[in-house]
Amino acid sequence: MPYFKQSVSVEALRAENVAKTYHSHGAPVVEALKGVSLKLSRGERIALLGRNGAGKTTFLRISSTLLLPSSGSLEVFGNDVVAHPEKVRPLIAVVPQEGKPFFHLTPRDQVYAYLRARGIDRATAKERAAEALGQMGLDEVADMMTITLSGGQKQRVMVATVIATKAPLLFLDEPTIGMDPFARREVWESMRKLTREGSTILLTTHYLDEAESLSQRLYVIEGGRVLVEGTAASIKQQVGGTLKVSVTDGEKLREQLSTFGEIVSDGGTVNLITGPDRINEIMALAVNAGLAATVGPVTLEEAFLKLVGRSIDEDEG
Amino acid sequence: MAAGIRLAGMKSFMATETMVQMHEWLAVLTGSMVQAALLVFVWVWAPGLLAYALVGALSYSVFLVGQRVLNEAAYIRVDHKLNELYHASPMSPESYFLGMSTGILLAYLPPVAFLAILLEILHPLGIVAALTLIASLLAVWAFSSALGYGVSTRFRDMKTIWPYSSLLTNLFGIVPPVFYPLFYFESSLRPLALLIPTSSSVALIEKAAGMVSLSPGEVVLGAGSLAAEALLLLAAGIYWARRTAREG
Repeated sequence: MPYFKQSVSVEALRAENVAKTYHSHGAPVVEALKGVSLKLSRGERIALLGRNGAGKTTFLRISSTLLLPSSGSLEVFGNDVVAHPEKVRPLIAVVPQEGKPFFHLTPRDQVYAYLRARGIDRATAKERAAEALGQMGLDEVADMMTITLSGGQKQRVMVATVIATKAPLLFLDEPTIGMDPFARREVWESMRKLTREGSTILLTTHYLDEAESLSQRLYVIEGGRVLVEGTAASIKQQVGGTLKVSVTDGEKLREQLSTFGEIVSDGGTVNLITGPDRINEIMALAVNAGLAATVGPVTLEEAFLKLVGRSIDEDEG
Repeated sequence: MAAGIRLAGMKSFMATETMVQMHEWLAVLTGSMVQAALLVFVWVWAPGLLAYALVGALSYSVFLVGQRVLNEAAYIRVDHKLNELYHASPMSPESYFLGMSTGILLAYLPPVAFLAILLEILHPLGIVAALTLIASLLAVWAFSSALGYGVSTRFRDMKTIWPYSSLLTNLFGIVPPVFYPLFYFESSLRPLALLIPTSSSVALIEKAAGMVSLSPGEVVLGAGSLAAEALLLLAAGIYWARRTAREG
């Protein structure tokens, strides 16, 4: 990892009050980021979660030297992202959102050519291209024209291109979009391997299971601000309980159930988020009313919906 | 500016672009169709002007290479977002622009070389004329590539870009005296024609090959403007590549 010679900073990324306002000609002014601060330590895997337009991609593009912030400061391994992008760029690699590989190259040529353009020698580039394509399950199609591959395979070529760099800090904007569950898990495993080897990963995703499985910490961004930050477990605890009771056709019990915790309706099913100490009472209530009820842990998706929903309600209120 | 140019990764990106373009061999061939059609017309209607039309076809072909840069840079950025992959890397933005331009030039060289061979058969050039041809065509390529790259960064949709590419190609390649000799052009407007890179390159090549006569003043105007415009646009292209590697 010769890149690390440039810096001894243990922080892979430090962002302070990063704001971005878009002033497009003929379009309304958009405040995409309103003061985002976050830190990534070397070797961490962090996910940014948020609705479409929350500001995740804007933050990623600013951090990866592709977009200037309106205000705030960012450092990558101690290098100022705004003032010295040329010092930052050798330390990073990016999977852009909705990025596609060259259609008229083979996956092997695509990865190899990109590594060569980054200054990696021929032998290492060849070796790493083969390794990355193997990790992405692309061995069999490595020498086929990329245009003949499926959408998910093309996306895997993009991820392979970036992970083959072994750059110290990787930015992955929705890296597994369009992939099947097997391919997604191959990507996850590759990311875990990379961080074990010392790389740091900042990713955005709309797959909450991916975020939970892969990330050591999460930042939920809403309306250009960090709404909540922490581990998946700590974020789930912020919604008022760790368990979810689902009562089928439970609308008629809604008022009584609401005294036990927060209610989220899903069709005819009433979902109640609560703690373990009230479970017996709730189940008894459901059984006495002749209704079926199940108990399970609160998922990250439910916590996300609840937290972001609350924020939207507050903003609108 | 020259001292500050970083060419890290340029050679590799050039090779990548050449490979990509060569896979689209039909595009390379169809890129010569307009020139071929015009040459056929000239051959049928005015065979005595065929050598002039061949010089024009050479300049037009090289100008077209620059317009391929417009389309390729826009396609890579708008459709593939691959510019982000390369800009967020140690490869310098100027390497990205120059690598793409030279890569496309290499891929499109065979039809240009074919036209040059036809010209040599029809009207042997000699060393001075051959060197003038190479220098002039390189200047046209630099001008057109930088123009194409600059225009490509201004749009977010491929459909919006196509008319501009067509407009530039016709404005620089068809309207001025490119396929027809300068002496057919309105004499009072000749200085204006010599300010246009495509037509000045053609006039200079034809002068060096003894096909037209130009006054010393016209030579200075044509050569000076061609060199100045090529260098200026190239410098502007490098500046713009750096500037647009990060959006504001």
